[in-house]
Amino acid sequence: MPDLSVEQFQKLSQHIYQKLGLHFDDKKLYFLKTRVARRMAALGIDRAQDYVFMVAYADPEGLELQALANLITTNETYMFREYEQLQAFANHCLPEVLSAKQARGQKTLRIWSAGCSSGEEPYTLAMILQEVFPQAQSWACEIVATDIDENMLQKVAAARYGSRSIAEVPDEYREKYLIADGGDHVVRGRTAALVQTRHLNLHDRIAMRAMRGFDFIFCRNVLIYFDDLSRKSVVDRFYNALNPGGYIFLGHSESIGRVSTAFKLKRFENHLVYGKE
Amino acid sequence: MTSLEEYVGKLGCTDETERTYAAEDLGYLNAPEAVPALLERLRHEPSLTVRDAIFQALSRTDGDAPIKASVQLLESEDPQIRNQAVIVLRGKGARVIPFLNALMRTGDRRLRKLVLDALSGVQMVDAGEIYASALRDQDPNVVITAVENIGGIRAAEFRNRIEELLRLNSHPMLTAACLEALVGIGGASSLEAIRRCFPDLAVLPDFLLASCLKAFAALGSAREFPEVANLLLVRGHHLRPAILGALKGIHSRCPLDAPPQKLVSTLQAVIENGDPPLCRYQAVQALGLWAGRDDICTLLVSCLTSEERLIRLAAAESLRAAKRPDLHRLLAERAREESDEEVLQALTC
Repeated sequence: MPDLSVEQFQKLSQHIYQKLGLHFDDKKLYFLKTRVARRMAALGIDRAQDYVFMVAYADPEGLELQALANLITTNETYMFREYEQLQAFANHCLPEVLSAKQARGQKTLRIWSAGCSSGEEPYTLAMILQEVFPQAQSWACEIVATDIDENMLQKVAAARYGSRSIAEVPDEYREKYLIADGGDHVVRGRTAALVQTRHLNLHDRIAMRAMRGFDFIFCRNVLIYFDDLSRKSVVDRFYNALNPGGYIFLGHSESIGRVSTAFKLKRFENHLVYGKE
Repeated sequence: MTSLEEYVGKLGCTDETERTYAAEDLGYLNAPEAVPALLERLRHEPSLTVRDAIFQALSRTDGDAPIKASVQLLESEDPQIRNQAVIVLRGKGARVIPFLNALMRTGDRRLRKLVLDALSGVQMVDAGEIYASALRDQDPNVVITAVENIGGIRAAEFRNRIEELLRLNSHPMLTAACLEALVGIGGASSLEAIRRCFPDLAVLPDFLLASCLKAFAALGSAREFPEVANLLLVRGHHLRPAILGALKGIHSRCPLDAPPQKLVSTLQAVIENGDPPLCRYQAVQALGLWAGRDDICTLLVSCLTSEERLIRLAAAESLRAAKRPDLHRLLAERAREESDEEVLQALTC
């Protein structure tokens, strides 16, 4: 395996962080080395320093970085993914927003799962919402699940998931919100009814402007596939789509701070979240 | 009313979101004639979100107009506007060169520095004249930025001038920048130039030694290896990562059959004495350069049971790389007891 020195690892991980917002610390040293080795083999590059140079300075379109991103990110999605982040949502952000709304006499809550893929995320949010806020049924609560891929939206509508998708669902939630059906699990109707699907391309600025008045936006592990300019545009649109006092959640290793200065950073326990004032 | 007029009109809306959308729409309209209105809005715009949208619009608009506007904005008193203008120019490609060239000739030292910031990290074949001029600039900050850029893009045609600047040794930050640039573009003459400037590494100030070690990692020969190894004994702990990096770099080009005297015991001390984990990882890797030797192989095997995962990882990598058939069984047994996923992969790959 071509040897990525510690200095090269640090330089590359810094570049990946700046461009993709993905954080790689020394716990991921070997992981990154093996992925770099794969890319070097594919490109016929022998020296790690040449690969690092290419990614940092000779990749103006970001094509190689994208190829590397495809190896260092997982497309795998499952319910209750990034559990700690969901805890920050459930224990702090959601109660804060709900009490502010109650104080204002409002009974609406809107959550947007942007780039929802096959729907594990919006249904996770629906379960949490019902658990944390049993009155959800008497409010106008809506979880809008959007994706560019119509096939994915059909899967969301079917609300049927295999064992891998539900492996991380806590037992008590599984009982309450899912029904076993053959080898699969189906989301119960009351929970599924909270989720509405909508076809949406995050790059479609006109369609994006219709997405307004959300209290929470979840867009986890999606922006890493965009170039710098697009990422910035999309994050600015998210800002406009959020209500004041609302929160945006990206993947746990993604940072919004380097893309936009508009959001305010808050810490809840060990988790950092971005909000709109 | 045309779309252009409509969007320009909306730039003056009281609603922040409407202004953001108007700037965004003007960007997608890609109309150079909208640039003056965007520029005018920027002068009074309090919202950072709208400002961002205006700069994105300038980035999306083709032609010379957004370039001229961005060059103008480099003179702003507001650092955020200057920085954003630099980013816009950086994304415009070779078309900016004539404008930056002119600014390099007429601008004050702050503007000349911003010209180089706009070229930073971008491979531009036509930027040679700007760099040649910058390398002879009166202002050290301009020269330092030029040298940093040249190193970054590996513009080897400036190697001689950078070696010359190194010899002049006029400013410590410039000297460090020259050393770092030579890491990417240096050759045999560069190593000689460095050696002439710094005959004794042991007495170099820390910040210069760190840069010098990077240059040695890239250019040094077996002759330098013992001298660099000795630095582990005489310099501070904080320099150990750079020293170990240099040893590995030299060895990868000029392998030594055996480690210099005392190096093994020094590396063992680094591994055992509580340095940061990444430094200890490097020390194990340095030992691994001679993993084929039985005495060192034994040391590496003992590292496989360390409590520090990075020590185990480096040992596993080194022992795998040594490709010793006598280790296969041992590594397989160790893998059965290993709980860390990455170390396990390294043991079994």
